[in-house]
Amino acid sequence: MTPSRNFDPAAWQPDIALERFTLANGLTLFVLPDHRLPIVSLQIHYKVGSRHELPGITGISHLFEHLMFRGTETLGPEEFSRILQAKGGEINAFTTKDHTSYFENLPAEHLELGLQLESDRLLNLKLDDDTFQPERQVVISERKLRSVDSPFGLVEEQLFATAYTQHPYGWPVVGWDQDLHRMTLNDCLAYYRSHYHPGKITVVIAGDVEPGRARDLVDQYFGKIPAPVAAPEPKVAEPPQRGERRAILKKVSQVEALFAGFHIVGLDHPDLYPLNLLAVILSGGKASRFHQEFVRVGKAIALDVELAPLPFSAQDPDLLVIAAVAAPGQSLPELEQEIWGALNRLGQDGVTQAELSRAKKLLRSQAVRSLAHNFFRGLLVGIFHLKTGDAQLANQILSSLEAVTADDIVRVARTYLREDNRTVVVLKPVTPEESQALGPLQ
Amino acid sequence: MAYNLPEIHQATLPGGMKLLGVEYDRVPWLSLTFMAKRGAETDPLDKPGVADWAAELLTLGSARRTQLQLAEDIESRGAVLNARGGWDATLVNLEGLSEDFSELMATLAEVVQTPGFPEDEFSLLAERRRAELMHQQDDPREMANIRYLRLFFGDSPYGHAVPGDLRSLDNIGVADLQEFYRREFTPATATLIVVGMAAFAQVKEEAGRLWGNWTGGGPASPPYVAAPSRLSAPGIYLLDRPDLTQSEIRVGHLGLPRAHPDYFPLQLVNYILGEGGFSSRLMARIRSDLGFTYGIRSSFSFRRAPGPFIVSTFTPAANTAQVVEEIRTVITEVHQNGVTPQELAEAQSYYVGHFPLGLETSRGIGRQVLSIDLYDLGTDYLTRYCDRIRGVTLKAAAAAAQDHLQPDRLVTLVMGPAAVCAEALQNLGPVKILDEI
Repeated sequence: MTPSRNFDPAAWQPDIALERFTLANGLTLFVLPDHRLPIVSLQIHYKVGSRHELPGITGISHLFEHLMFRGTETLGPEEFSRILQAKGGEINAFTTKDHTSYFENLPAEHLELGLQLESDRLLNLKLDDDTFQPERQVVISERKLRSVDSPFGLVEEQLFATAYTQHPYGWPVVGWDQDLHRMTLNDCLAYYRSHYHPGKITVVIAGDVEPGRARDLVDQYFGKIPAPVAAPEPKVAEPPQRGERRAILKKVSQVEALFAGFHIVGLDHPDLYPLNLLAVILSGGKASRFHQEFVRVGKAIALDVELAPLPFSAQDPDLLVIAAVAAPGQSLPELEQEIWGALNRLGQDGVTQAELSRAKKLLRSQAVRSLAHNFFRGLLVGIFHLKTGDAQLANQILSSLEAVTADDIVRVARTYLREDNRTVVVLKPVTPEESQALGPLQ
Repeated sequence: MAYNLPEIHQATLPGGMKLLGVEYDRVPWLSLTFMAKRGAETDPLDKPGVADWAAELLTLGSARRTQLQLAEDIESRGAVLNARGGWDATLVNLEGLSEDFSELMATLAEVVQTPGFPEDEFSLLAERRRAELMHQQDDPREMANIRYLRLFFGDSPYGHAVPGDLRSLDNIGVADLQEFYRREFTPATATLIVVGMAAFAQVKEEAGRLWGNWTGGGPASPPYVAAPSRLSAPGIYLLDRPDLTQSEIRVGHLGLPRAHPDYFPLQLVNYILGEGGFSSRLMARIRSDLGFTYGIRSSFSFRRAPGPFIVSTFTPAANTAQVVEEIRTVITEVHQNGVTPQELAEAQSYYVGHFPLGLETSRGIGRQVLSIDLYDLGTDYLTRYCDRIRGVTLKAAAAAAQDHLQPDRLVTLVMGPAAVCAEALQNLGPVKILDEI
């Protein structure tokens, strides 16, 4: 039976329709109209992340994200969330190496309220010790949760700290424990003045809204806010790595593990597409090489190539991370050698057409599924714009992946997955007594 | 706010199995779920994990294809096959692009109807599970969740971890998985749910062709609906983990079954108590006022039988006793005084306003359809949902809080460094030390 016209997959169009506006104060707005459901995703992306920090105040971008919920001249702590949640909204925020993003997914009829409240906290944020001190404690608890008490959090921190010697990607977004304790309210006020203004903002509104109305509303609430002359973006390049670096982290653990990072490229580089496909060929799905050779047969509990999907990998060259957790009784050094052997084999023998086309279809299907979300569509456009200046890259992912050849995969494997470009951190299990003797975990 | 609710189409296939379908045209995606309406609650006491292991083994080879062939064929279409045990149901889910409609439908039917139960894959599965169980001990949150259920429910059916525990490794054999499959995978207690870019007429025809002759096994186990006869005594239990910097805290008591008439008022009360993020009293008190935690939430697990009510959080170990006490205080306040008119109105408008956000993706719609079918909520449930939320009165909310929150029956588990937190906890009452994970 032939599907009816409405349900013909071939008629579906993946391109995201978008309109761009720029306000006089430098604020950029993207509107992605879609009238299927009466909902919108409102996103305010600030071009400030851990890359803008300095040693001594690491983690301030993320701490500041928390402070943005602690009230304004007219709203009490967390009232921002409470008001919009009471309209049915999903309210949250996240901080990355390159940006801080606030979002509200909510019924379209409350878009104006969302903009009004976002504008209010940009202009009138209440920053005092009463809000700063408890929120600092919250972030210290968050750091313990994500880094200290999590199985591999400290290993990943050690990996980035070892792989980056000069670039700010070397410190974690959540910040170092000592910096979180040391930071002052004045540090936060200075940070607020430098980075929270329209020149650093990309607004995205995706969903049930007309572009003209969206522009008018954004202009109404953000258009009159002055933007100071923005400080130039810090341009730091990590020098090429000239030889393998290794570190050991001892911690109470039931398993031995290693995390290996390879410097790759930034989001604007075309090699990211073959690298994404390479990651899938190695560890995406049950048919992947690593699953079949290592996980299925019990050599590794987990063996994953971790590369943030587009557009979430970093603006400047990020790390491609291979995370290997040895199965009990398996030798980690042997597992490590076998992993390097598998990478060398790929570099020498290449990949099959079947592997490449499977990886392409897996990434295509994931992209198609994600495009059902207004929220995700908005992130694609907003984050590509913010990190590369080219929002249309959001509409070129599928064709860019499709154009990758088997030779490209081999080329990027040889270029980036080299021993000299590699940093390895090994997690060595110790007893609780041995752990205590090594000093406090921070 | 006018919008079209997804229509849930329903049919009974020739073999007697139920088919539910929703036509979804946002993106060319298909979500196919086979649901056997029995799950981990049927696991034998000494063989926890049977439902979940059986589900995974289904994905590791059919009568016709090996695990590698299945994985290659499915993933070469960009699709993903997942199977897992759960409470009250076991699910086999296959999702992919709707251009592959026929292949995906046929593959799901093959995986469910003609499993291979390969011995060699079973051995490897058991080894992987052994390693995962060991690794799990490094995850404090997960360990606290598992340990709490065992402490609270003991030997009753909801008391073990769905994926099993160390007992599973010695006691489960492939025959146990075959027996679970033979008993519980039967058209009489199964549903096929298809959400995606496919016309229901086409879905029905294809499903009829693929499933019409499937007789399956059975009879399925009687549904587990009773409350457990014995539960852990209320009090504070401490599991020493000297290596942790924060304590994991779980506080709870027995909740209600999904079929209970107080479901809606209690959901609203719980949103206000601890489910509603920054709108909840627990978050306001313990995170916003005190800065003691990054996150805290309370949840009722509504199942066929009464599931648990649990408050979950963590805090730097020195704060442990104070957080336990604050949780008890907040629960007591809501139990005694109910909620305010403004809190109730805001909770209601949250659920009503948020409702269309759950209809954006085929997975979101599929999840709702699955729950509607599993708990017999009626195919008009989505149509009535917002009215049911709006219809809860302040009096009904107060009564639900009074009847179903039990501050004097709280079972509290702390997993953290005893050297830092035990003394202060003892000031709250007797503390029973647990000595094993």
